[in-house]
Amino acid sequence: MRKSWLLPSLAIGLGLLGYLALGQPTLPEGPGKELVLAKCQTCHDIGLVARERLSRERWDAVLDEMALQGLKLTPEERSAILDYLATYLGTTPPPPPPAAPEAKKTGAQVYTNCQGCHGLQGEGNPPLFPPLKGHVAKLLGSEGGRSYLLLVVLYGLQGEIQVEGQVYNQVMPGFAWLSDEDLALVLNHLLSFGAPAGILPYTPEEVKAARATPLTPEAVHALRQRLKLP
Amino acid sequence: MEKLNRRTTLKLMGLGAAFLAAGGRGFAQQAPSADQLVKGKDAKLLVLSQRPIVLETPFDLLASQPERTPKELLYVRNNVDLPGYNTVEGAGLEGWTLEVGGLVDKPFTVEAKELLALPQHEVTMVLQCSGNGRSLYQPRTSGNPWGRGGVGNVTFRGVRLMDLLAAKGAKPTEKALFITAHASRQGNAAEFVRSVPIQALENALLALAMNGEPLPAVHGGPVRLVFPGYFGVNNVKWVVKVEFAEAENTTAEQMPRYRVPTIPNTHLPFLPQEPGSRYPYSFTNSRPNWLVNVNSFVFAPLEGQTVEGPYVRVEGVAFNDGIVPIVSVEVSTNGGRTWHQAALERTGKSYGWVRWRTTLYLRPGEHEVMARAWDAAGRSQPLDGNLAWNERGYEYNGVMRVRFTVA
Repeated sequence: MRKSWLLPSLAIGLGLLGYLALGQPTLPEGPGKELVLAKCQTCHDIGLVARERLSRERWDAVLDEMALQGLKLTPEERSAILDYLATYLGTTPPPPPPAAPEAKKTGAQVYTNCQGCHGLQGEGNPPLFPPLKGHVAKLLGSEGGRSYLLLVVLYGLQGEIQVEGQVYNQVMPGFAWLSDEDLALVLNHLLSFGAPAGILPYTPEEVKAARATPLTPEAVHALRQRLKLP
Repeated sequence: MEKLNRRTTLKLMGLGAAFLAAGGRGFAQQAPSADQLVKGKDAKLLVLSQRPIVLETPFDLLASQPERTPKELLYVRNNVDLPGYNTVEGAGLEGWTLEVGGLVDKPFTVEAKELLALPQHEVTMVLQCSGNGRSLYQPRTSGNPWGRGGVGNVTFRGVRLMDLLAAKGAKPTEKALFITAHASRQGNAAEFVRSVPIQALENALLALAMNGEPLPAVHGGPVRLVFPGYFGVNNVKWVVKVEFAEAENTTAEQMPRYRVPTIPNTHLPFLPQEPGSRYPYSFTNSRPNWLVNVNSFVFAPLEGQTVEGPYVRVEGVAFNDGIVPIVSVEVSTNGGRTWHQAALERTGKSYGWVRWRTTLYLRPGEHEVMARAWDAAGRSQPLDGNLAWNERGYEYNGVMRVRFTVA
């Protein structure tokens, strides 16, 4: 009981630290920044370093001077620090930070199309929308289940079904408007909710092939009825 | 105990940050102000570095006290952070001892409080950082970007080093060519040592007071060895040891720091450098920032001010190393084509600054005034201060230019 203040004060302390850290003058991002911070901040307010704009030669001289003041550096550290200082605190504007590589779309991102009904973690929302977690594994475990999962996502479903003993009777729209890549991504994301061992990941080519023979939601329902679900 | 999960913790953190952001200017400001760093300093001083503490006096505040710079406004350039000394209050003399040794026939140790019993001597002098004006050099040099506010005019009071030696019956030997002072290293403070030529002994003062009050701890109290006419760095704060030596000391504060290039083995003012270049500093091809060079500042009008015309009072201060008097200050309003003589407050040698003033007849509109001081040795200030460009940006004394509007 006596420790009940500890966590809140720790939390406020962390908040304060974060706030103060954000408020301090900082060095530009770049390789070697951490090393510069580690070596220079021992003695200097980092603002003193951050506002300098010197040529490589003169930074070199500053490092010589600091060595006289007792700064200990290995040759590798020294050249890394000099490279950083000359590049990011040099006389010419520093190069723009390397453009972040175009973030690859993830299955979780595509799943945002599904989570409104089936829940963030695939937990479902009975009695309107069935859970995916656990149920997907059972679908995939039955014969024809793997291709049924692809088709239900692509073309939707209409008709009464039973999932974990609960009856559902809602229309699920198809997602044929998503690209083949996105559909493969979201299907593979569903595998992360639980899949029997040995299930192959879906590929965009498979999705493309499935588009060749369009199905109605009722036809998908008929397919489902033929699955031998436990 | 109620269990705190991650979500609650995050909420509390957010609350803490929101509380801080909303809670008063003190917290909302990112960097501490001068009065937060040094107790008793004016909050308007510019913080150039927090560690070690470097504070610049804004020029308008400097100009607002043209007689003497009060302790609240005086700039701070500390190379060492002595724990517990960041205040303008005096530091206790009790327990402070000073060792005098080296090339002296009778080395001795003296209690700081014993100094109070010896004859006290007073000197008004310009205290100026040798990096003052550094930001006017182009291209920029390394170091704290001083404007012109790394300077002040203060009165030190204390015991002359000569009087102390005489009282102790000690005499430097003939081999002693330099005086080397060591700052206290209490609290594991970094080493700080400076040497000045032996002739500085003539005026050396172990200062115990400044402007009639105990010497502020942040300015070197309880005991500071001051050399009138020398740049600030030579006036060692918190002095604990004075050595007479054959040569300059070899610590970083003596070489390569606080030096300017010269022709080898000469003591010409400086050796002109290609701005932006590097220089291989050595004891022979450079000289320390010792004696203050001739300089002058315009205290009125201030940059950007609008003043009543057509008669405009222009005034300021001028100073040099105190070896010879300042003999004239000239003012120009046409970029240096013609010069007009200002009136000096007094003549004669002085370590303090000399006030000067003149009245100009100026049409309404924009004007630029320049001021240039001359001393009896024929020394003056360059119109283009950049010709003294040096890698570390020391000893700028280019003519000051002030733009203002006459209404």
